[in-house]
Amino acid sequence: MTNQTIDQDEWATLAAVARLLRHAAVCAWARAEAEGPRSHLHLLGLGIHTASCQVAAMLPADADPEGQHPAQDDIAQLLRSAEELTRSIPVVDRMAGISPLVVAICDLVREATP
Amino acid sequence: MNRQDARSVGELLLDADFTTRQVLMDVTSEDAPAMLRTWGEVVQSASELWATLPPPVGGGSSPIDGATMARLESMSQAMHRTQVRQGWPGDGPADERLLHVAETLTRAADLIGRRGGHIRPSDPEVRADLDAARMRIMHTLYVGAHGVGVAARHHVRDVELSTRGKTSQESRGVPRGQDAVKRLAAFEQLAGAYVGNRYARAAQGEHVRGPYGAERLQQALIGWDIQAHRTLAASPTAANLLLVSRTQAGIATAAGAILQAGARTGHVDTHAYEHRLAPTLDATQENWTHVAGRWAEMTSPADRTDMDLVAAANELRAAVREIAHDKTTWARPDVMAGRVDLGEAAQHLQQALSSAVEVACVIRDVAAQDTNLTGPARAMSHRANAEVDGAADHGQRGEDVVWVAPGDVFANRPVTIPEPVRAGLVDATDTLVQTAGNAMSAAACLDRVTQDRAPGSGQEPTAPRSRRHEEPTHMAQEVPRVARP
Repeated sequence: MTNQTIDQDEWATLAAVARLLRHAAVCAWARAEAEGPRSHLHLLGLGIHTASCQVAAMLPADADPEGQHPAQDDIAQLLRSAEELTRSIPVVDRMAGISPLVVAICDLVREATP
Repeated sequence: MNRQDARSVGELLLDADFTTRQVLMDVTSEDAPAMLRTWGEVVQSASELWATLPPPVGGGSSPIDGATMARLESMSQAMHRTQVRQGWPGDGPADERLLHVAETLTRAADLIGRRGGHIRPSDPEVRADLDAARMRIMHTLYVGAHGVGVAARHHVRDVELSTRGKTSQESRGVPRGQDAVKRLAAFEQLAGAYVGNRYARAAQGEHVRGPYGAERLQQALIGWDIQAHRTLAASPTAANLLLVSRTQAGIATAAGAILQAGARTGHVDTHAYEHRLAPTLDATQENWTHVAGRWAEMTSPADRTDMDLVAAANELRAAVREIAHDKTTWARPDVMAGRVDLGEAAQHLQQALSSAVEVACVIRDVAAQDTNLTGPARAMSHRANAEVDGAADHGQRGEDVVWVAPGDVFANRPVTIPEPVRAGLVDATDTLVQTAGNAMSAAACLDRVTQDRAPGSGQEPTAPRSRRHEEPTHMAQEVPRVARP
């Protein structure tokens, strides 16, 4: 399912989305663990993590989405930033998967925003 | 229409797309009636815009043809006719944001109609632009339909709760809303197929048709269990092990919340919950989380996770949310009890807690025996030293050993996990098997509670059972520990 024809800018943007989502999942789980085993944030973290898995599946096989960690730890803000980044990714055949990714991130923003 | 609007067709399409995203991020139950009233206008405007785009040269050889849009428009019209016939949601204000989307699409159609005579679809670049425009329109409908569906689903849930026990006249919004939810889901699925929705299920646990409530939870738990075993048998990578462990932790968390609601509403024995279930559930949740942390250390950002496993995890999360969540946190116990029969849900969770022991055993076997386990050199070096230091704190001081070659650490290459890392993993998974076993034993009382309930009791809570004073059966003797590598 990996798309080999993504151009460089789109790849870089998608990799940045992956980083934001990964970091948001880590932040959600860190807060969940601080709150205890009953925290609803365990499931929010799981949702964010699966969204990041989806982005990873869209990246080229040889891509290494390592990069600088986002500076902030606000989960909702990280998700909003990820959504904003997806706005510059074209909705075209070669980016199949971007539409459900957008929906998933928007759902997570709603879930994370009090 | 704004006569000063100098935006291009592309800019207008982006505006429509971004507005539907904003709607989806902000949507609430109260928005549903206005959104349902306005959705038809959005689809009609999109269809008119679609019709103004020059058709592909040589007919519809690609998926970029008009069939999908025609079907979507007829679905929307049928939905509108039903709304008029049923008088639901009835007259009232339109949703301003969706109205803006409809007007923006109409503006784009006008622009093409007035100035698009020069468009030559035989030119490859123009063809690509047209394809991109069609894709953006369909994407906007896909995101928009999802947003209206979310609002309608939440609205139905609220009406259901507020009209429980009332006349069918007062609760008539429920079946009508459910009908709208189903139609919007079908609409979303069709639009999603057009935009290459290969990842749809994985992305959001999409659930177009099928059971709801406790039955959905049961199917999601069974589906998850099967997929976790399949994935771990075929590809026991750290990334897959991480998702399995995090999802199992999520099941334990959800079980705690749902069973607590069951205890508070009389569906689960309060004493059994507080003294037997809750402590063992918390312990197993913490152990799944701890083991997940170990697998996370062994992953790198480039790792891929099995998308079937992702889909199963998403469906499970969606099923739990349907029962147990209220926007950003857990729903109140009485709200959960209003959504499903918590006794039935408890029985499904009891089965899942039994299955969790087997999943824990599989993970322990991977930790102990899989010689292909690797991890990033730096993380493995840190973990190996931490394990050795931990052992030294317990009086087992060994020789100083370099567990990972400096060159590998410098380049952060994937390396086979060092012996202390594996030993730590085996210890952690051994503990996990024991605590999962304890939770399974404690949850056995749920089966008895359910069996004790009067048949046909439906959603009515039963009187709490008399207190039992049995202690959970500890599994330490029942589940043999695996040999150290």
